[in-house]
Amino acid sequence: MQNIYLAATSFSPEVNFDFAAHRLALKGECYPENAAVFFEPIMNALHNYLAQQQRSHITVDVQLAYFNSASTKAILAIFERLNAAAVAGNYVTVNWHSDPDDDTIMEFGQEVADDNGALDVHLLELA
Amino acid sequence: MSLDAFYRFQNLARDESVVFFYTGYFSQAIVTAMADALRLRLNQTDASNVQRRKLFSVFIEMAQNVVHYSAEHLTASDSDDHEIRRGALWVGERGGQFYVVCANPVDRNQTHRIRDKLAPLLGMSNDDIKQLYKQKLRADNDAESKGAGLGFLTVARDASGPVEFDFADEHGPHSPTTMFYLKATI
Repeated sequence: MQNIYLAATSFSPEVNFDFAAHRLALKGECYPENAAVFFEPIMNALHNYLAQQQRSHITVDVQLAYFNSASTKAILAIFERLNAAAVAGNYVTVNWHSDPDDDTIMEFGQEVADDNGALDVHLLELA
Repeated sequence: MSLDAFYRFQNLARDESVVFFYTGYFSQAIVTAMADALRLRLNQTDASNVQRRKLFSVFIEMAQNVVHYSAEHLTASDSDDHEIRRGALWVGERGGQFYVVCANPVDRNQTHRIRDKLAPLLGMSNDDIKQLYKQKLRADNDAESKGAGLGFLTVARDASGPVEFDFADEHGPHSPTTMFYLKATI
């Protein structure tokens, strides 16, 4: 399974999906012109990886400083897919990092946790 | 344009405490460059971290709205990536609050659709807007939207008061397009 690494740009996050290590990370800004175009290959790779997992321990680190409205549903879809993998018997830990004064990002993490009960979501404040 | 007109334009911008103004064609590259410049400029103001974040969010939503929906485009009208479209964007400061205004031409037959999306938001409290946002987040996408259909709602969520909008004819009442203005205060 090919890992995915995309370096951060001004408008897109660093994507580091180390499938071999079962560690997935998203970090940075997220306001691509077309969120569907940006997320489609990431989502496809994630789907192919998760389809092969059984009882795997998967850790997801999310540290997004900002994401635009067009990216919100794509980001939610990632967690829905992870939740399905957790329901299917994998152990998925999500570390959702946000600035202590950033209610928007923190509340979005709470939404992710509320909607996806099979995920072990930790809402963490950045120092 | 004589330099005299340029001085008047500069003076007006100063009197209105304009932090940032751009008019012309918008693309993702231009939006990104403006966003970088706006961040640097905001760092020199008294804006709080929360205010800066909300202002940035409103700025991106409005600027990308121009890229996606302005009726005047250099790229094919049905393209949904690498688009270049015309509009204007203004960030100003008044009494410790910031405001962002964007303007772009829209097809006259789209005004009802835009009005129907924005008008219900005007009378809503911030809590109501947040609830509606959560509801729409889980709803199916609007077929005419190129994003998640949450742009206006995101602007309303991040604004400190009701958003304002208007349509003004640039080329008379018979032109197929009219100018759409949207303003949010943060």
